[in-house]
Amino acid sequence: MRKPYRVLLPLTLICLATAIAGAQATGVGGVGIGPTGPGGNGTTAQGGGSFRVQCPTTTPLHPTAISNSAPGTPLTEAAEPAYTGPAVTPETVGGQSLSYTLNGGTVKCQEISGGDGYSTMADGNQIFMFSFGPLSGMDLIKNGQAGTLFAADFNNYYNEPNQPAVAAAPNDTPDPTYDPKRANSLNGGIADPGTIMEIGVLNGNIPAPLMAFDEDDEFFLTLSNVGMIMRPDLFEEHTVHFHGYPNASSYYDGVPDATWAINIGGSATYYYVAPDAGTYFWHCHITPPEHLQMGMVGQLYVRPRQNREPAGTNLYNAVAGSATSGTFGSLPGPGMQSDLRTACPGTGTTPAAGYTYGASGSIDILCSAPIPLADTGAVQVAGAKYAYDDGDGSTRYDIDIPIQIHGFDPNFHFVGMTFNPEGFADMKDKYFLLNGRSYPDTISAPSTNPGYAGLTPNAPAQDPTSNAIGTEDSDGLTRYSQPLPTLITLHSSPANGPSRALLRIADLDVTEYQTLASLGIPMTVVGFNAKLLRDQAGNNLFIKTNSITLGGGESLDAILDATGVPPGTYFLYTPNLDHLSNDAENFGGLMTEVVVVN
Amino acid sequence: MSDVNEKTRNAATLTAVVMVAVALLIGGTAQAAVPGITASAGGSSTFNLVASQGYISQPDGALIYSWGYGCATNSATFKPYTTGAFCPSMQIPGPTLVVTQGVPFTVTLTNNLPKGAGNTSIVFQGATVTSTGTAGLLAAEAAPAGSVTYNVTFANAGTHAYYSGTQPDLQIEMGLYGAVVVLPSTIPAGANCSTGIPIAQQLGGGSTDFRLAAAAYNHPEACYDREYLTQWMELDAHIHKQAENQVQAIANCPAASVCPTALDVKTEPYHPSYFLINGRSMPDNMDPSYAPNYPNQPYNANPHMHPGDLVLVRVIGQGHWQHPFHEHGNHVRILARDGNLILSQNDAVVPPRLAGRMEFNTDTTPGQAFDGIFYWSGKGLGWDIYGHTNAYAVATQPCVPDANGYYTKNSGATASSPNYYEWCADHNHPLEAHPVGQIGSGGPATQFDPLVATNGLWYNGTPYLGPDAVGRNRGPTPLPPSASTMNPFIESGIAFMWHSHNEREITTNDIFPGGMLQMMLVDPPTFWIDETL
Repeated sequence: MRKPYRVLLPLTLICLATAIAGAQATGVGGVGIGPTGPGGNGTTAQGGGSFRVQCPTTTPLHPTAISNSAPGTPLTEAAEPAYTGPAVTPETVGGQSLSYTLNGGTVKCQEISGGDGYSTMADGNQIFMFSFGPLSGMDLIKNGQAGTLFAADFNNYYNEPNQPAVAAAPNDTPDPTYDPKRANSLNGGIADPGTIMEIGVLNGNIPAPLMAFDEDDEFFLTLSNVGMIMRPDLFEEHTVHFHGYPNASSYYDGVPDATWAINIGGSATYYYVAPDAGTYFWHCHITPPEHLQMGMVGQLYVRPRQNREPAGTNLYNAVAGSATSGTFGSLPGPGMQSDLRTACPGTGTTPAAGYTYGASGSIDILCSAPIPLADTGAVQVAGAKYAYDDGDGSTRYDIDIPIQIHGFDPNFHFVGMTFNPEGFADMKDKYFLLNGRSYPDTISAPSTNPGYAGLTPNAPAQDPTSNAIGTEDSDGLTRYSQPLPTLITLHSSPANGPSRALLRIADLDVTEYQTLASLGIPMTVVGFNAKLLRDQAGNNLFIKTNSITLGGGESLDAILDATGVPPGTYFLYTPNLDHLSNDAENFGGLMTEVVVVN
Repeated sequence: MSDVNEKTRNAATLTAVVMVAVALLIGGTAQAAVPGITASAGGSSTFNLVASQGYISQPDGALIYSWGYGCATNSATFKPYTTGAFCPSMQIPGPTLVVTQGVPFTVTLTNNLPKGAGNTSIVFQGATVTSTGTAGLLAAEAAPAGSVTYNVTFANAGTHAYYSGTQPDLQIEMGLYGAVVVLPSTIPAGANCSTGIPIAQQLGGGSTDFRLAAAAYNHPEACYDREYLTQWMELDAHIHKQAENQVQAIANCPAASVCPTALDVKTEPYHPSYFLINGRSMPDNMDPSYAPNYPNQPYNANPHMHPGDLVLVRVIGQGHWQHPFHEHGNHVRILARDGNLILSQNDAVVPPRLAGRMEFNTDTTPGQAFDGIFYWSGKGLGWDIYGHTNAYAVATQPCVPDANGYYTKNSGATASSPNYYEWCADHNHPLEAHPVGQIGSGGPATQFDPLVATNGLWYNGTPYLGPDAVGRNRGPTPLPPSASTMNPFIESGIAFMWHSHNEREITTNDIFPGGMLQMMLVDPPTFWIDETL
């Protein structure tokens, strides 16, 4: 049964892709992404086709390209240009003289498919999803990392003989667009329409591909709608809603009623100037009760510019600086108050003249960088990470733990797979998911903690090289569609390794509120809905708690600090006791482990 | 989406179009302030209310038997406008009572509920109440055909809930709930608290100030330009059907037989399938307030605003459940909960500055009200949302930044400036890499092929705001399929969805779209937002 599927399906898809691409003339390896592409300025027009990818190397806001001298290894945050206060740069754009305010950052790109896929629940049940899959950063995604790339890495376009997210099969035929003369590229973007179809169909992940970038970056996100191969009757569009983007445009907000949605066979690129730091998330906004329930939900966070301040910078002065000249990091000097986009005049202990209830204007009640109460003397440490531009070091942490709370209603998914009308009123989640898995699969991390997922019948496949687990799809290929375990390992002694985890928690459940409790180790909630918890006077309003409750569409940041905690295994689990189940199994659900070692 | 649901969706879309056609007949696209009453008859601050039965309509065609508060006689004093306003003897939500902080008012409630429904009452959350009536557990009650009088004083300004305190699991579910808007006794001094017409209201040629007051509280940061009130309530039609059947059985019971005397409606298990904002489901909630096709659901939910407007969002959770209310477009700063300002506990400034959270998802909680301030300005998009590019003289507009970086009256703009409140740092910055129409190029992004995209009913066809940019980008020809009837060329606003993010609740009894969903439009400064519609 398997072989005919495996042969026929890709053939069908390639035919479809060719039909979509129309008069695609480019041969193997002949397609480039970047400023020299036939579409100009980063667009690659594929003949008459509608799959198009864009990732300009430079833009008016970021006129300096960043290259990668080791193309096989994607650049990391360390390559991000530093933040040293705003720099107003005159430029000639479109023949006109303009000025841009540069705060560091660079151009980042990511590519995703919108289609369908399968995952495996902790009781062994395979479940059909409408879902997004990675078309860039595929190896990073499989390894639990964000698939967001610097332009140089994205434009080092994908070139692999076999799909990285598919379990090796003896009869695999190489990708016909593979160019053996080029160096392999596991993570680059895919511009070739045939390859987009070949890889994109059925490659949906849960959670959808992780996105992470830095404040002040420009982010180009290309969505290609590859269709849902298991539901050929549907003509569903897909969109990306960047949930929580402050002062969003409607055009890139992804609400199909308010704007546009991309049809099957087409691509569109969303463009965002990365907003304020914080934990956001993203999802499809087509028929939300259906597409979110079916799995089109992903995580997204924006790292603060404070991470990019040079070592030794006084954190308070970097936030409070409001001058247009002087030395960054000292007062008076330039800082986050110098750029009106992030400034919070009127906050902190000594509000700027005229801003406190004065005649010239009141405080911007939704501003980005509130000034802390006082200079704590905190200075930047090389490599330090913060949740927000706090100016006092209070949100510093060691490792990011993205946690997506979600739920699947297996009846809804089954009905959705079997060509029947789904009911909304009776929707009832039976699988309660952290990062697309229920306990014990949440701690199934084959590279460090093998085993648990293998205990159940019809166990999902485990990737030997990552923590991903996979499901055999209807074409007989096993794709690693659940890349993210939620096993948190921390050190009791900070000298031995990471001890402070930033739990970036987003709830995308579509039916009910969910509570997550930390048994033993308290959490400190430092941010809520992608905003630092701070009042306008500069007081931090952090909350120390052992449980948090979120409704669908909400996110928060909590620091879990294991410093001094006795080594052992602790739990993050839901006290909504009926959510501690995997459908009929009265055990599992919304739970994971925090392992504290010395 | 299956075939069947696709059809229902198309049907719902058609319904929406038809509804808008109705709205247009009435006189334009609909938006609303916070309509309410300051007195239901006679002297000031005296409200003669009744509780009685009736039917509400839902967009799937259902007429749902309900109970609601209403006016004893339709002679109320309406705020902030009177055109078309009415106060029936039963409405859902009940009449919004507009009163003043610290000023006592009187509510007389007459119980006209059907035979068998028993007593009824009103609980005023956060108020001091003395009353005369039949003794009850939570509040004095009105016996069948009798009445009760409450003397009520709210010490705090802000938005408050009122609802039945008698058998609330049934009576609130049936619709006995409403809102009290308490205006502050003192309007603070502050740049945005002018008691005259704020500039936001002057934009687009309009000249009417529809605020109930210039500030929500006596605090300089509680000033606002527009306000909208939404009450969130889910509805289990099975409960309503049981009540209807039992009421009819009692009313029609032959005289000679042994008749039931009281309702025995089972309110559990609770399984709602309708999700209401201000008593209506989408798309009905986008029709005007006081639209004649909703005789018992007078209030709409259809926010419009100009860029930079400080929009007071008054929200009340009614009913059983919490709903995560997601405001697309920007965050909301929470000012207060249940009329209690949330201020810094450690501030040298007097009065202390705000300490409420900024949220893109504001939970509505049963029995709880909150006030927040929202605005949308497009700050930091990185491109000029008015499509100004120096290459086209027609687009040349000044943008002089004020102290906050916007083009406002403080930096020389006037109420007729088409880019009033533009974020000047992005002025003239192109979005598009390639020239389109009369929009200059050189920007970062290349647009998708419009032939492979589907357009929404509120889509103006471009990334831009306002008919000038839309006309230069796309031309005056509307895009298929809708000819932008929800957002016509003259408006050319940009739309954001405000909805429950427990997405199951944006359905109407299994039909998507519906339920707790409203479309918020940011209209260009040149467009007059008529809040009477």
